[in-house]
Amino acid sequence: MHKPRPSRLTRIVPAAIAAVAALSLFGGVAAAAASPADASHETAGGALAAAASTPPPADVKGKTFTIGTDTTFAPFEFRSGGDLKGIDMDLIRSIAKLEGFSVNIKSLGFDAALQALQSNQVDGVIAGMSITDERKQIFDFSDPYFDSGIQMAVAKSNNDITSYKDLKGKTVAVKRGSEGEAFANSIKNKYHFTVKPLDQSATMYDDVKAGNSVAVFDDYPVLAYGIRQNNGLKAVTAKERGSSYGFAVNKGQNQELLAAFNTGLAELKANGQYQKILDRYLKAPDEAAPNSSFFALLANSFPALMKGLGLTMLATVLSLIFALIIGIVFGFFKVGSSLVLRGIATTYVAIFRGTPLLVQAFFFYFGLPQLTGVPIDVLTAGILTLSLNAGAYMTEIIRGGIQSIDPGQLEAARSLGLGYVTSMRRVVIPQAVKVMTPTFINQFVITLKDTSLLAVIGFAELTYQGQQIYASNFRTGETLLIVAALYFIVIMLLTQLSNLLDRKFNK
Amino acid sequence: MSTIHVKGLTKSFGGNDVLKGIDLDVADGEVVCVIGPSGSGKSTLLRCLNKLEEISGGSVVIDDFDLTDPKVDLNQVRQRIGMVFQHFNLFPHMSAIENIMLAPVELKKQTKAEARQSALQLLTRVGLEEKADARPASLSGGQKQRVAIARSLAMNPGIMLFDEATSALDPEMVGEVLQVIKDLAREGMTMVVVTHEMGFAREVSDRVVFMADGVICEEGTPEQIFSHPEQPRLQDFLAKVL
Repeated sequence: MHKPRPSRLTRIVPAAIAAVAALSLFGGVAAAAASPADASHETAGGALAAAASTPPPADVKGKTFTIGTDTTFAPFEFRSGGDLKGIDMDLIRSIAKLEGFSVNIKSLGFDAALQALQSNQVDGVIAGMSITDERKQIFDFSDPYFDSGIQMAVAKSNNDITSYKDLKGKTVAVKRGSEGEAFANSIKNKYHFTVKPLDQSATMYDDVKAGNSVAVFDDYPVLAYGIRQNNGLKAVTAKERGSSYGFAVNKGQNQELLAAFNTGLAELKANGQYQKILDRYLKAPDEAAPNSSFFALLANSFPALMKGLGLTMLATVLSLIFALIIGIVFGFFKVGSSLVLRGIATTYVAIFRGTPLLVQAFFFYFGLPQLTGVPIDVLTAGILTLSLNAGAYMTEIIRGGIQSIDPGQLEAARSLGLGYVTSMRRVVIPQAVKVMTPTFINQFVITLKDTSLLAVIGFAELTYQGQQIYASNFRTGETLLIVAALYFIVIMLLTQLSNLLDRKFNK
Repeated sequence: MSTIHVKGLTKSFGGNDVLKGIDLDVADGEVVCVIGPSGSGKSTLLRCLNKLEEISGGSVVIDDFDLTDPKVDLNQVRQRIGMVFQHFNLFPHMSAIENIMLAPVELKKQTKAEARQSALQLLTRVGLEEKADARPASLSGGQKQRVAIARSLAMNPGIMLFDEATSALDPEMVGEVLQVIKDLAREGMTMVVVTHEMGFAREVSDRVVFMADGVICEEGTPEQIFSHPEQPRLQDFLAKVL
């Protein structure tokens, strides 16, 4: 996922030049969003450890530094049981302990962390960040603490493919837009293989295990971590030379922190702790260490999945409320006598029923901000998409419901001298609601399931949480089974509840 | 004083002329029965009288209200006209008495308690006071139509329109509904009754109108129409139905 991260590079440069005014604001928001839960404040072991080592620059001792990092970039930083873990986290904590300072870690996301650093909201950033010439213009980097590079892996049981030469006529999986893809493309003509770009590491590994591709080209640390997690692969080539990662501070600032990092890093390398940290995440298991049990997986993933389920329900309920409002307005446009309003409603329904939900989600999240210049957060984009999509179906449900009522009902009400609105409210709509209730329940279930499509724009609902989990433990099948079961249980319960209410109120 | 004045009324659906110039005056307290073959425009004429159908041409004046005047308050005029439909059109989600109370309460003519009182009286009048809380689905066709008549009387109209009120009923239930209509006629209600019940028309009418092909073909007293029909089309029609 990371590495030179071309998208991040291109994004950070204009951000530095153009968005100076916005930075402090954004940094503030990001820092606020990080909240107590995301900020783990750790006190250093302190004087004893420091005394035993070379004296560090005196002025970091006893100080607390705020360090920004990414949200999830295994094996450098990721959450496990609520705690931030990973190579970056272990390194910065060990160095802080050695050098006698404290760190307050804020998990902000990669771009937000860099912006926070520029606006001095954080003192340093460690986030699996490649040292590049562009970034050196803005930041001061430490000595490289990790050398990355591309490596090839095949299924554990595969003994036929041991070098690039064996790839002739075969298919190789790579991550779209990654260095691995660029490397694969650079040698595919020489070795005569086909490149198949996929979106996620877990998907690539599954593709290899399923035999659709014979090998995968991925970043060495990501691959090594996956193998350590029993993803069913093995590395078969040495890593190609790649970029190096560094710890960064703002240009010309916090030099004592930078110096302390370098000193600490050198010491960790000297005393063997550095290698221990790498081995903890990257060393291939000697034996195929057995996976934890299904129930352990269930217990471990439950908190994240529940959080996702909460967001799924939130998005469903909000979207359905908006969809209902939209449906009522446009539904009445459709049964009304105004040709213009009917045309508007018909066009709206045609557009949103006639295009895929996935395309709509991409459009609202990525396309709309480019057209309007106003950024949109993922929850807003997701709910906007679902509301407008479900709204189109609601419009048709309401139109159909109203039109299913015998026109004689409205005539009878009007012949009594009741106005149109009163007649609809007292006579037609109560009957239409009864007719519509089963279709409403149906739409409710459909919209709930449709929220899963919002995973593609990074909305952290249930499916997304599931993807995050198997992206780090590579137990795709079991994780998806749990996710599916959760959807099933919730939908069953809600359907039963809806039917109960239907029977109670629509006798 | 409840009167109807129709002059040169035309109505077309698309290119189809259903009414081709109708002149009809109904005096206060007069009972007019409209007869004629299917498709002759009887029901359309009736529905133009309270503007359930848009009027294509000519004029309809109810009391002092010209229905073709765009400024006229239709809801006001419709409160003066009760209408009874072939298929009853009772509101199925309300009980019999709620059907009757709806208009007076919604139009703020009566409080709920008053409306309930009057509705009970109306139900008594049509002989269904014990069915006050029954849903329409549990009533027979004849009972439904009597409730519908009671409902159309709730706003205390001076004019009643009956659109083939007994056509959807089983034969044994026709009598009870016709009896209610006869009672209304005797009380001096101004009425226009579209019907296929020739015996009833003969008995209850002050005047009978025979329609064919969107025009009034012949009109007169029941005696004239039924015993001395002049137009061949009326003679033809009567030969078929009597």
